[in-house]
Amino acid sequence: MEILVCIKQVPDDSVEINLNSSTGKPNLEGVTQIVNAFDTYALEMATRLKEKVGGEITVVSIGDESVKNSLKNCLAVGGDRAFLVKDDSESLDPKSVSKFLIKAKEDIEANLGKKFDIIFCGKEATDYALGQVGLLVADELSLPVVTNVVDIETEGESAKIRQETEDGYNILEASLPCVVTVQKPNYEPRYPTIKTKMAARKKTIDELQPAEKPENTVEVVRVFEPVKRSAGVKIKTETAEEAVEQAIKLMTEAKVF
Amino acid sequence: MKLTDTKNIMVYVETADKAPVNCALEALGKASEIASSRGEEVIAVLIGKDLERATDLSIQAGADKVIIVDRDCNQVEAYRSILLEVIKKYKPSVVMAGATPLGKDLTPVLAMRFESGCAVDVIDIKITDDKFVMTCPVYGGTVLNDIVIKESPIVMTIRSGAFSKVIDSSRKGEIIKEDISVPESTLLTKVLEAVKEIGEQVNLEEAEVIVSGGRGMGSKENFELVKKLADVCGGVVGATRPAIEDEWVPRSHQVGQSGKIVSPKLYIACGISGATQHLSGMVGSEYIVAINKDEDAPIFDVADVGIVGDAIKVVPLLIEEIKKIKAM
Ligand SMILES: Cc1cc2nc3c(=O)[nH]c(=O)nc-3n(C[C@H](O)[C@H](O)[C@H](O)COP(=O)(O)OP(=O)(O)OC[C@H]3O[C@@H](n4cnc5c(N)ncnc54)[C@H](O)[C@@H]3O)c2cc1C
Repeated sequence: MEILVCIKQVPDDSVEINLNSSTGKPNLEGVTQIVNAFDTYALEMATRLKEKVGGEITVVSIGDESVKNSLKNCLAVGGDRAFLVKDDSESLDPKSVSKFLIKAKEDIEANLGKKFDIIFCGKEATDYALGQVGLLVADELSLPVVTNVVDIETEGESAKIRQETEDGYNILEASLPCVVTVQKPNYEPRYPTIKTKMAARKKTIDELQPAEKPENTVEVVRVFEPVKRSAGVKIKTETAEEAVEQAIKLMTEAKVF
Repeated sequence: MKLTDTKNIMVYVETADKAPVNCALEALGKASEIASSRGEEVIAVLIGKDLERATDLSIQAGADKVIIVDRDCNQVEAYRSILLEVIKKYKPSVVMAGATPLGKDLTPVLAMRFESGCAVDVIDIKITDDKFVMTCPVYGGTVLNDIVIKESPIVMTIRSGAFSKVIDSSRKGEIIKEDISVPESTLLTKVLEAVKEIGEQVNLEEAEVIVSGGRGMGSKENFELVKKLADVCGGVVGATRPAIEDEWVPRSHQVGQSGKIVSPKLYIACGISGATQHLSGMVGSEYIVAINKDEDAPIFDVADVGIVGDAIKVVPLLIEEIKKIKAM
């Protein structure tokens, strides 16, 4: 099985990002860049599949030099090789990202002399949460696509995919090649070991040229912060009884009951 | 393909069990407000079988025309190719869908096919200089982006709870039947099984009271306290992701970025730290009560009433007190 996993480097999602009022942009200073959580789930799912059926995992990303670090982390937890589409844009719209990824896929295929059977993406990135890239890549390539994937098995030329739905799940069948976008499965991504980390550090990451950037149809005209809720009353008392008494009093005054 | 000479707002009204999903009705309300200010119409599109009630509701919620495509679909590709045809024929300048999993699967590709762009999880729309300015949350809702899309149709998904649903039973609308076939060649996946997990359906989006529990509840047994409190408040149960991963409650109860976005009148958070991914799903609540033993928990920054204390002790007392109030 030849697997391509697309990853995005994003600001650490456990840090609350606010606006920098002087630049009018999100303040990302000092925030560690990490692999998008949903992409780490995608890589883990791909790795489990590889362990079952054999094959290799290629990881690809778009961005500046710093993204190589994220790619190396991916090589330590399942990726066999990694490529970076070199682009220094501050951000790209989903259309550009999908065009870049398609060209990268084709370049890598030519380079390896093999075709990918499955393209894994995260269901969305934790920064912009657009959830469009996997869909657009598949549409452009006329490939089947399944979103919100929590499990995948392959059998010959087809994949059996478990998709999370609002009230349960679907089991879908898609012929290979196909694209899947991964939701949080009920396992966590594995951690690297010292050995896998060392091995990953030794690998080189090849750079790829981006595709021609399509015309941007989406423009951000203003970045701002939502009106903050102000913290109300914090009740700290000796006993739980007192706290509840005060809380009930406030809630009744506010007519919540 | 570029669409020229576009006009009117089209809303894809997704249905579940033959009824329109709430955020589609909310989208119709907003669409109607905008369309009437521009002397345009709102065109609802319904795809499925037995949609009389959904048609009536769509009109009452703001549709001037309802296009019915009477076809049983279970694949996303089928919905997509029907919508593509409808958009080509009616040439709307705006296409809206609810920000549901289906809506999010359909819209990016629709936009791409018309060489346009797609706004996701729209929470506000303003018309400035005849341009649609859409507000979308980024970074888990701590930052908002106003965006414009330069091509037609402008495609977007509307976040649940962002706009209010206005049902006016006196509204009239025109019903149009379209017969659109789905070419076999467009169906690239096959649904082998569609399973609704047993367990009660929760309608978090429409609930007036939500009592949610997090990891701080400690165990499945203790989580029962959250359910009891929800019961006495006449509300429904919500949860954070860890509570779901530990299987204290089914996944349908998850509130947050990857769960439901809610806006009840009262939200009680028990043993919840207030991570951005959870906050972004519930900060729209009118009144927030939080119980947490850590006085520095971020949930207190958004709570109207914050009780610093052990939820295992506090919740039973709250239950008793609220019972008394309700009995009065
Ligand atoms: C991509 C992504 C998407 C996510 N989507 C979601 C989502 O949709 N929804 C969601 O909820 N999370 C989501 N998360 C997870 C989120 O980041 C947090 O991990 C989660 O919200 C924390 O849940 P919690 O507050 O229950 O647990 P914790 O953060 O562990 O907090 C437990 C809290 O309980 C308090 N506590 C402990 N014992 C007691 C007691 N006896 N009485 C009172 N208080 C007590 C502690 O002080 C602590 O503040 C997502 C994460 C990622 C990376």
